[in-house]
Amino acid sequence: MDFQMIIWMIVASLAAVVIFTVIGFIPGTDETSVLLPISLAVVLTGVSPNIVLTFFIASIVTLNITNLMPAALVGLPGGVMSSPMIEPAIYIKNEGRSAMIIKKMAAASLIGVVISIPVSLVLANLLIPLADVIRPFASYLFIIGAIFLSMISKNKILSILSIIPLAIMFQSLRHLYWGLDIVPADKNITVSFFLGITAGPLLFSLFSLLNKKNFNEQIVDGYNEIIIPKEDQEMTSMNPFKILTISERKFASIGALISNFFFVLSPVGLTILIGNTAGNRKKEPLEKATTSITTMSSVVQSTYLSGIIIPLLALGIPLSPVALGPGAALFNAPPVLNLDNNIHHLLSGFEFTIAVLLGSAIAMAISYFLIIKYARRITSLILRYVPHESVLGLFIAFVLLLSYMDGGVINIFGVLMIGLLSGSLNKLGVNYGVQFMSLYAAPLLVELLGKLG
Amino acid sequence: MKKALIKIWGDVVDAKELILSIIIISVTTMGLFLLAPKSDKLPIELFFGLGGAVIGFIITVILFKPKRIIKKEKK
Repeated sequence: MDFQMIIWMIVASLAAVVIFTVIGFIPGTDETSVLLPISLAVVLTGVSPNIVLTFFIASIVTLNITNLMPAALVGLPGGVMSSPMIEPAIYIKNEGRSAMIIKKMAAASLIGVVISIPVSLVLANLLIPLADVIRPFASYLFIIGAIFLSMISKNKILSILSIIPLAIMFQSLRHLYWGLDIVPADKNITVSFFLGITAGPLLFSLFSLLNKKNFNEQIVDGYNEIIIPKEDQEMTSMNPFKILTISERKFASIGALISNFFFVLSPVGLTILIGNTAGNRKKEPLEKATTSITTMSSVVQSTYLSGIIIPLLALGIPLSPVALGPGAALFNAPPVLNLDNNIHHLLSGFEFTIAVLLGSAIAMAISYFLIIKYARRITSLILRYVPHESVLGLFIAFVLLLSYMDGGVINIFGVLMIGLLSGSLNKLGVNYGVQFMSLYAAPLLVELLGKLG
Repeated sequence: MKKALIKIWGDVVDAKELILSIIIISVTTMGLFLLAPKSDKLPIELFFGLGGAVIGFIITVILFKPKRIIKKEKK
């Protein structure tokens, strides 16, 4: 790795910061549906793996902090990861403390990055000797994960009962496409199925509008009134230690630390679990909301970073929801990368570490400064000029494009089918985490079911 | 069709403009994707598709106005 390479890695980080700062502030842009196509495009251009990894790490760090802003300021989720924060965010907003919470979230996000990078690099190095032992059991971990996430969800029985039907739906589509020769037998469609789950609730809501009775129920009298909170006058410090209280720092740090060990579980599931557990230790409502939202801000970063760093550095197989979803292009992007020749094989431990450190440091430094100084102004600009119609339209077009690329016209309707089932299950209370895990567990689960006769 | 404001996915939209937005962005996205030169190496088709999405997005941003009333908090 020479000097020129370092310069290119810095350029890649800056590009990632610019792209994902804009995307992050747009409400409703799902992480996977923006990270995957862009990183896939970068991989396929054939640039050096050092640059690819630096770009990706800078992308997730930037997106995970900018996504929090629409949630904190106006109560709209920036992406999937910030959706659990909406409830505490609206409470804090109604208490008139939005300006304060933005800074706290940015500081907690910084803690999440600072803790999870060294911890996940160490964990990955510890796992390297175990890699050969774990590898054959990888798919069993997804089944255990789906059951585990169901057990800790609000609707346990419903979630557990939905695992097998979901798995059957995914596998039946895959087998149908193989049978019709639409996709080659060695290709496992994942990207568009993932998008189908993610777009499920939106697709379901859109389809219910076609029912006259449902349509009339959704009608509102006037425009959405949004109050942009005032600039915070009391707290002008940029020092994260001054912005957060001791207790908030403690929960953010512990949350980030713990989540590294659970890198195989759904990031959003972990964020909800750890954030609410932290919040529940507080009695006073404002303190409770603040604690849970800052802990979540930190955990969002650590789940994403550990979810990509650990499987990529230790195993080279996508053994976490982050690796299978948003980070999939780093493991498998034929013809440039495949499961026997990807970032894991192409970079030495030292090169890997440098790329991770460089990407995260640049992204975190710029976004932290930007958020603390300009979060209010950027949000106000986006809300004034970008209509919700455009965002929903863009999302639908993305789903359409990636569905078609994955499996042609028939897959557009296949993904629609997934969206409608996932969306209705979602409305009934089966969360994303359980559904994603079921997608990963599907091949083995269906194979085992088939053997039962 | 008269203006029907509906609440979906946490914000207010005009039903007609929502349908138009979905159609416009889908057409520009898939249109450019299908027009892209075929190539094995580079994901040119993907770039064209994403470019089409950006174009469609910009068209709808210009055509339609957000259904939001932005107020500054006063104290």
